Amino acid sequence: MSTRIVVDPITRIEGHLRIEADIENGKIKDAYSSGTMVRLLEEILKGRDPLDAWAYVGRVCGVCTSIHSLASVRCVEDALGIVVPPNAELVRNIMNAALYMHDHVVHFYHLHAMDWVDVVNALKADPKKTSELAQSISHWPKSSPGYFSDLQKRITKFVESGQLGIFSNGYWGHPAYKLPAEVNLIGLAHYLEALEWQKEMVKVQTIFGGKNPHPNYLVGGIACAISTDDISGLNAERLAYVGQLMNDGKKFIEQVYIPDLMAIASFYKDWGAIGGGLGNYMAYGDFPTNGYRDVASYKFPQGVILNKDISKVMDVDMRKDDEIQEFIDNSWYEYKGSGGLHPWKGESKIKYTGPKPPFENLDTTQKYSYLKTPRWKGNAVEVGPLARVLVGYARGREDFKAVVDKALTDLNVPVTALFSTLGRTAARGLESVLVAQWGLEFYDQLIENIKKGDTRMAESKMRDSSNWPDKALGVGHAEAPRGALAHWINIEDEKIANYQLVVPTTWNASPRDAKDRYRLMKQLSGIHQSPTPNSRLKFSERYIHSTPAWPVLYTCMMKKENTLTASAYWANNL
Amino acid sequence: MQNRLLIMGIGNYLMGDEGVGVHAAERLQQAGLPAHVDVVDGGTGGFHLLSYFEKYPRVILVDATLDGNPAGTIRLIKPRFASDFPKAMSTHDIGLKDMMSSLQLLGQIPEIHLFVVSIATIQQQGVELTPEVEAIMPGLLNKITELANTLEPEQEPAG
Repeated sequence: MSTRIVVDPITRIEGHLRIEADIENGKIKDAYSSGTMVRLLEEILKGRDPLDAWAYVGRVCGVCTSIHSLASVRCVEDALGIVVPPNAELVRNIMNAALYMHDHVVHFYHLHAMDWVDVVNALKADPKKTSELAQSISHWPKSSPGYFSDLQKRITKFVESGQLGIFSNGYWGHPAYKLPAEVNLIGLAHYLEALEWQKEMVKVQTIFGGKNPHPNYLVGGIACAISTDDISGLNAERLAYVGQLMNDGKKFIEQVYIPDLMAIASFYKDWGAIGGGLGNYMAYGDFPTNGYRDVASYKFPQGVILNKDISKVMDVDMRKDDEIQEFIDNSWYEYKGSGGLHPWKGESKIKYTGPKPPFENLDTTQKYSYLKTPRWKGNAVEVGPLARVLVGYARGREDFKAVVDKALTDLNVPVTALFSTLGRTAARGLESVLVAQWGLEFYDQLIENIKKGDTRMAESKMRDSSNWPDKALGVGHAEAPRGALAHWINIEDEKIANYQLVVPTTWNASPRDAKDRYRLMKQLSGIHQSPTPNSRLKFSERYIHSTPAWPVLYTCMMKKENTLTASAYWANNL
Repeated sequence: MQNRLLIMGIGNYLMGDEGVGVHAAERLQQAGLPAHVDVVDGGTGGFHLLSYFEKYPRVILVDATLDGNPAGTIRLIKPRFASDFPKAMSTHDIGLKDMMSSLQLLGQIPEIHLFVVSIATIQQQGVELTPEVEAIMPGLLNKITELANTLEPEQEPAG
């Protein structure tokens, strides 16, 4: 006899996600995820000017505020055959690199670290030992005994004030926390430093995009002009500031994030065997260095790996009718026909058939989610940092091999440990190192171009709609920090006739398909529910720690009742 | 000298009334404001907004809430802690409350005046406001402007 447990909403994500799971004899027997909120951007965009689409889709998410805009301008450019000038490609890459650096650090420290780092225990640490430990793992200057001791005093005062704020409702003291007090204190110190640091990092987006959140994009290039001696434009001072931010960001990743990640991981190696996920991984690739159409020039290579077989990487063709398709067998939509639809033929007509809220349980034998079910050649795939790193590694890219092999050696774990919660968490850090390096390469290249006198930032001829064909199809893809993202557009008579977004979370949290494959059960079954009196809470903790397919959900819960703190935020849920 | 008062609208522009804060920010920008005031459309971006709260000693926030009051009800509150914020502040989970908690941790909370507008549901799509909320917009904008005018630029915030 199994019991149904509901966790809704999963928190620390953008948007609403509900999990229902059946527990039998203390173990998860079956599980379902449901997106319970819908925005229907596809309908909002219909009939609008394709040149404006980026501004609407930028609002999909408040976290990765620019990546949807990037995918959008790319899909319109793809449809209209626009090739952006090299500087625009570089600036977009720098903005995207800054997004990654910001996003992954925030993800690690502010959304995920508290699942591993026990804040209250940190107060018991010996500042002198903490200092020695910190200096043994990194050259980061803020590491004196006095620094750690002051921090302890500050946090003690904070705890005593009774306004625990962001640290309230934690599971402090739970035996699942395994770090020594000194590592906890380092983690806490860097949680706070990262909070200060991230305020700086986002400024790269503001400088090029004019504002943040939701920076400005432009079909054809970049919406800011280079003018090295004009105080209002993108002048020499602003450009130098970007260079400084990118350098500081790289230093923080190398000297704080990575040493912490490795130190923490070394105490949680058992998570190298938990959370293997689907075993199928997909990346569209990103950071072009010779134009969007030249996929081979991407810093993040594209590809698909099936069944954890990293000896084979298959290519993805997003234009082919039978590769990427979305199904609605268990989603609250209706299609005119049946089967899966390629996004260029995609439909988004809602037909809600779930129970009238408020309700206890969804009937998961019927349709149960607003998320559709995307498949690549019929396969469910995981997208995100682990997928990208595995594809890069399996493609034999030297830079990927270097960081991955070093991490495996340092942690003394086999390559199979990558297919896990630990691997996913490590991949996020390792790709941050790569992206930070690339970001500086792009920056240096941009400066070089400008010095040579190339200040072109946009290609404007095709912005004039009288030059457009009557009909055009385009696809714009990007690697969002959460994973592979793509927008498909149909332009007819200068307007958007159809626009479909298939986002990372649709891949990672889709309902099951018609053949009942790849639902959460496969990944979660057999995981123990913690034997504690408050089984609901503890269940959630274990469950979320183990929910493996997603770059979104690993964590323990920190909030009351059945509200979870999943460490990670969802790019969005549609 | 840099302006010392910021008006920030929060919300998701794509979700009907949930985006009321963003609509307010947009309309205030168009209407023009006293010279000592800056306006920002904060979107739903939690952590992204931290630097604004460091830069300005005073902030007027506008956000939607699902507090059970009739749609369009406007309340002005002066939160000191994250826990003073209404429970169901819109839907952006890594939102304002987390940001406030973070500011509290950093010891940098500015003087905050928070306008909350009650909405009926978050299950809305589209960039339009419902008639109930649209109807209160002129009143909301007046209240915000009046408050901004009473917060004199020369006067340092108390406490």
